Amino acid sequence: MNKEPIKFRKERLDRGIKARCEDIFALSSYREILYLLLPRVLPVALLLVFPLFKDIVGLYWEKVLVITCAIALLSLSWDWLASVGLISLGQALFFGVGAYVTGSLNYAFKWPPLITIPLGTLGGALICTLLLLPVLRLRGVYFAIVTLTLPLLLMRFIETTKILGGTEGLSALTPLPSLWVELYVPVFTLLICLFGFRRLINEDYGLVLQGIRDNDRAVMSGAINIYWFKTQAVFLAALVGSFPGAFMTHYYQFVGMPAFALDYSILPLTAAVLGGVGTFAGPTLGAFILVPLSEVLRAFGTLRVVFYSAILIICVVGLPEGVFHYIRRKYHQFERMVEVG
Amino acid sequence: MLEVKNLMVFFENALAINDLSLEVHQGEIVGVLGSNSAGKTTLMNTLSGLIIDMKKKEDRRGGERITVLGEIRYEGQEITLIEPYERVKRGIVLSRERHPIFPDSSVEENLKIASVLRKDQEIRKGMDFVYQIFSHLKEIRKRKAGFCSGGEQQMLSIGMALMTKPRLLLMDEPLLGLSPILQKDLIRATKQIRKEGVTILVTEQFARPLLPAIDRGYVIENGVLILFGTGRELMENPEVKAAYFGV
Repeated sequence: MNKEPIKFRKERLDRGIKARCEDIFALSSYREILYLLLPRVLPVALLLVFPLFKDIVGLYWEKVLVITCAIALLSLSWDWLASVGLISLGQALFFGVGAYVTGSLNYAFKWPPLITIPLGTLGGALICTLLLLPVLRLRGVYFAIVTLTLPLLLMRFIETTKILGGTEGLSALTPLPSLWVELYVPVFTLLICLFGFRRLINEDYGLVLQGIRDNDRAVMSGAINIYWFKTQAVFLAALVGSFPGAFMTHYYQFVGMPAFALDYSILPLTAAVLGGVGTFAGPTLGAFILVPLSEVLRAFGTLRVVFYSAILIICVVGLPEGVFHYIRRKYHQFERMVEVG
Repeated sequence: MLEVKNLMVFFENALAINDLSLEVHQGEIVGVLGSNSAGKTTLMNTLSGLIIDMKKKEDRRGGERITVLGEIRYEGQEITLIEPYERVKRGIVLSRERHPIFPDSSVEENLKIASVLRKDQEIRKGMDFVYQIFSHLKEIRKRKAGFCSGGEQQMLSIGMALMTKPRLLLMDEPLLGLSPILQKDLIRATKQIRKEGVTILVTEQFARPLLPAIDRGYVIENGVLILFGTGRELMENPEVKAAYFGV
């Protein structure tokens, strides 16, 4: 009589606390409040406080924060498009068009940033949406190809026709009024966009968009004009993508061909993949890992890109789900071995 | 030929198959009956090894954890954790639910794709065998598979499974979405396949057309084996009658 071996399997359990306290009952215990609020409040608080310590951390890192926010906004816009099923390879299009609209408005009419940045954001988003309108009817790689090509096309167009300053670009634009504006406008915009998108994707509107990603024919047979919804989604993404362009124009007091650089396409994408696609918080986190990391690695000189790419590859291969998904899973769930049989 | 002992499959914390044991002998047609969510497809995926692949993918992404416990023995060898392609080489072939085929290739190309394991001169022979069983496929062999009807796609799917020289053919809901006449045709074809020495394990919800054809049957419900017997025994069983014949 051979004895059956005892078999084990790993069981995954929710921390449970979450189910109990998503409404008013959360107020009954400070520990539950902390459990719920900590992952949201702590990063936001850090982000808001960081500019206040500019004397301690130095102006250099404050500038890194601005660039990080810009990349984070672009990756948010990428993630928004991805959650409609449109994979974009050219966030630089949004960035560049926003930058050029703002720059030329300021250059031509000498309007202050308070007017040109909103106008540049809106105008850039409109132009991008119109440019992308023809490909929205197609499924598959077409959207990716067109978004990849358009920034390159516009860059060469400006270079050869010498409009909008040509290769030299438009310089001596109006600077932003103060350092606090420079630091806090991107931070607040990032927070508004992040939480706005997170909210919007869970509303009915967001459900339609996710439905288009999963099965557009089923959405169509639900009497919904998916092209109109896709247009709206692209407009929103272009809005969020154009803002950093418009802002950085006044920040650098310069707009030129680098606004269409491939960096602005690739960095947001890698940030989103590293952080975890589809969560909005993930791409933001990814941007806040990647951009400062690339600054830290400057110490390695020319080997910087090698280290940077190696770290990126290790992260993506090791954690294909994304850093944010991993952290969230570990935070909300725990595992234990249980006996089976 | 195939022996399943105390098989348990968990999807995360949900138990899909609970302590299931069954046997398939050489040359039999064995049926597994069960309603939706009984665990039929999970059983088929576990036997064909697809679940090993799913498990690996989920583990990499940190998704649902799939746990397979128990023992599957095929011709005396333990195969519980072997990769699906390895199992196909040994002769266990699955014709999957909802007949997945390559929609952009023609019927004949589909059959050719499925015959990687055969030598060149054998492909013709295998194709003739498939055309002999499903004569309709020969008429439409130049058509794109995506434009074929559901019944034709089902025939093609089984034909593709036959091209890989199975010794144990697993059929997951072959009658799904077919008209009664086509169902009868398909069951006749199944018997013909068995005559060629292929053992068949078939899962189904429709007991009425299937039960007369099978040698033995197992009835599962929520992953638990509740009844087994010969086809005739099951047909006369009052519980089966109530549950699957609507009497």
